[in-house]
Amino acid sequence: MKLTKLSILTIIMTIGSFSAIGQHASDPTLIAKGARLYSENCGRCHNPRPASDYSKKEWSVVMPHMREKAHMTGQESLAVEAFLASTLTADVRNDMKSGSSGAEQRSGKTLITQFGCQGCHQINGEGGNLGPTLDGVVENKGREFILKKLKDPKFNNTASAMPQFPMSEADMEMLINYMSKN
Amino acid sequence: MKRLTLSAAVASALLISAVPTALAQEDSELDIGRFAIAGYGDVSYIDQDGMNNNVESRFVPIFLFQLSEKIHIESELEFSIDENGETEVEMEYADLHYFLNDNTTITAGKFLLPFGQFGPNLHPSWINKLPSGPGLYGHGGNGSLVPLVPVMSDTGVNLRNSFKLGAGKLFTDFYVVSGPREEEEEEIGIDDPEEGGHGSIPEVGFEAGKGDNNSDKAFGGRVAYAFLPSIEIGYSFYNGAYSDDATLDYKATALDFNWIGTFASIRGEIIDTSTDFLDEDDGEIDVFDRSGWYIQGSWQMRQLDKDILNPFELVLRYSEINDALEGERWTVGVNYWLESSAVLKLAYEDTELEDGDTDNRLFIQLAFGF
Repeated sequence: MKLTKLSILTIIMTIGSFSAIGQHASDPTLIAKGARLYSENCGRCHNPRPASDYSKKEWSVVMPHMREKAHMTGQESLAVEAFLASTLTADVRNDMKSGSSGAEQRSGKTLITQFGCQGCHQINGEGGNLGPTLDGVVENKGREFILKKLKDPKFNNTASAMPQFPMSEADMEMLINYMSKN
Repeated sequence: MKRLTLSAAVASALLISAVPTALAQEDSELDIGRFAIAGYGDVSYIDQDGMNNNVESRFVPIFLFQLSEKIHIESELEFSIDENGETEVEMEYADLHYFLNDNTTITAGKFLLPFGQFGPNLHPSWINKLPSGPGLYGHGGNGSLVPLVPVMSDTGVNLRNSFKLGAGKLFTDFYVVSGPREEEEEEIGIDDPEEGGHGSIPEVGFEAGKGDNNSDKAFGGRVAYAFLPSIEIGYSFYNGAYSDDATLDYKATALDFNWIGTFASIRGEIIDTSTDFLDEDDGEIDVFDRSGWYIQGSWQMRQLDKDILNPFELVLRYSEINDALEGERWTVGVNYWLESSAVLKLAYEDTELEDGDTDNRLFIQLAFGF
């Protein structure tokens, strides 16, 4: 009897530990969480690898390996995978049409949230510290620099881990407009 | 009541069978793969007195398989060229992860021991910011320093957990493995028997191909607390019998710490070891202690905000081994990052041993992760 109760408890606990994993991978909050976890965990041992190093399918196999290395939970690993999948991974990096072509215009704030910018950068004093703060960055570096960085994150730093994001030039301009107000 | 309990158990079992469906990210945009190759490699030129073969090369692929969302398999092979130009192949690890639940993983097979930081996480050449090792771990690259910890990977079972605790996270690993063994032909001499008490100590090593040499298993673990992303502090322990009759033990503890900033990092480890040995004079078991530590700092020059300096990184490391076979080492290096996982390293290393010998090395290394 005790064994049965113990078995039930174990089963319920096991199910409970997985129940939250069903969160949709395109959920912006999951992507933002993944960006933060990517910033917090990958740089503990090595330069964070840009999403373009592997395809989405490869990341899905690499992430369980890194889950163990970094002591991440399953949910955390899934969030990082969702963040990486939201950027231009190796299988889609040369296909800018996979961005927002045809999609309705998104606001700068929406883009910031959608692509998890604050996972690595601080905005209004809040966010990660893997990359430099974005407060005042447009004023300091200029619009052209930011636009170039969004199009080709490695143009001024070959080791940059910043991913390319699937966004149109109009999206980038909107993002720069938003950042220029901060 | 019994029937109700049984029904509940069956219902729960049916529910658990549905878990893989939920895990499969149905209706999500994530692509699920089955196989991937990652890994690293390097080519090094080493300028050192008396060294004839001064170019070394390694290729270290890691094969990753996702059998299911609960089972993951990984294996790392190291291909290298020995001093005679022959190809050497070594299996660094081959293990299976079973994700018991969101926090807990059981690992079985040959795995990198979670002891300190350098062994399990930092030794791959594209991650190690210097072309040589700190001298405390037995994985090559130590030059004339005799390492304190001979075992990097071993066969057994590990239980890994990760929890949120307060403002940070608690990481735990506990494992049971085959354990160390005595390398019979390679006793290490001590120049000053008075100080060491005896003429030699055994070299404790591990050769995976030989299997275990006694019935005792080694056990160990690491408990760490981290305030991510900046700070992590860990305590590791290891205890195993190495002699054929399992009467002589090798023990080690380590304290490791990491500080990671936006542009800089500081990390280090303090290791204490004790090795039992049989006193040749009175037949009693005595203990031979050795200890050591290292600290390493790095700074990315992109902090200066000059495009031309963005790929450069400066690294400085100091290592020290005390109590016996002593030595100290300074290593200074400049890295140029070609990619986030490809680096050209230039480093100079100055090692001084207790007997007055010096061992100076100049390195040029191209290391890459893939």
